[in-house]
Amino acid sequence: MKLELVAHNTGVEALVATAMLTTTSSSRPSSIYHSLSKDPERVDRLLGRLEVQHGSILGHNRLCWIAEASEGEVLGILLKNRFFSFTRLDDSRWLLSSNLRTAIRYAQENKDQFGRSLLESICDVVPTIVRDIRVRLL
Amino acid sequence: MKVELLSHILSDQIRSALGELELPDVELLPHLSFTFAVEEVSRSCSHQLIRHRLASYSQQSQRFIAVRRLKEHTVVPETVADNAPQLFDAFIEAASETYQGLLERGVPREDARFVLPNATETSLLVTMDGRALLHFFGLRCCNRAQWEIRELADAMLVHVRAAEPGLYRGAGPYCYQLGRCLEGRFSCGKMQDVKEKYDHLA
Repeated sequence: MKLELVAHNTGVEALVATAMLTTTSSSRPSSIYHSLSKDPERVDRLLGRLEVQHGSILGHNRLCWIAEASEGEVLGILLKNRFFSFTRLDDSRWLLSSNLRTAIRYAQENKDQFGRSLLESICDVVPTIVRDIRVRLL
Repeated sequence: MKVELLSHILSDQIRSALGELELPDVELLPHLSFTFAVEEVSRSCSHQLIRHRLASYSQQSQRFIAVRRLKEHTVVPETVADNAPQLFDAFIEAASETYQGLLERGVPREDARFVLPNATETSLLVTMDGRALLHFFGLRCCNRAQWEIRELADAMLVHVRAAEPGLYRGAGPYCYQLGRCLEGRFSCGKMQDVKEKYDHLA
């Protein structure tokens, strides 16, 4: 299966860090987000404390790929995780999307080519989180 | 109430990746995403909001954040302000004193919060995909929705129309989206007024 990331929210790691702080800070989420967007080092520090099993904070985003896959491969993925969304483009191409929570959950639970391709495709979008996940998967 | 659209995926990003292949809007919607900061709404409103399960929420926790100056951080419905402001204020004052008293006696925040009213303000981060959001507008922009969540839905719709005018020009309550009311005998009977409102909401 071939995956190409074609769209995603802006500032995904800042959004994850904002979600972390929103639950525990009296500051407003908009203030937290605008402050963190200007301070990538603080975002890195916060993400270093991320507990990925608390998945809800990873849900504030969406990642879209174009995938080349057979119907059987798509069915296999959906049977493992029903939170991916697929739209057929032609005989072998699909528009695929999920949030970070779904992508990471899949990669953690399935050590297959699709899971590795998911992480590889998003390592520039969420570098700190992918680095941490890869360490945990080793 | 304050609402800000913090981040989203633009449909043009996806359309340009698809090249000459054209997807109908309805097939594109589930791949879009909108993240809002929703601030200074009541716990009553957030409770209705989180009933929309195809979404992600991160809300200020009353386990971690003590409520200070409760009276300054409550949402007061117009009907209460018009009819019984003193009764309402007296209750908020009593709830505030009880809450502070519990904290001072060593009761943890997670237990002291049991006396906080639904009027207490809260803020949260909300993310919905494009299809779930359209359904949310269909239900919560409706005249039959409770006023606070209807105001919230309208404010979110204004932001979404600005970001995606083509896709959400026809968004609003279901009577506006479909041209017919789904509320049966509970219909407000004001479809023309509703159409006028959502034709011009911006």
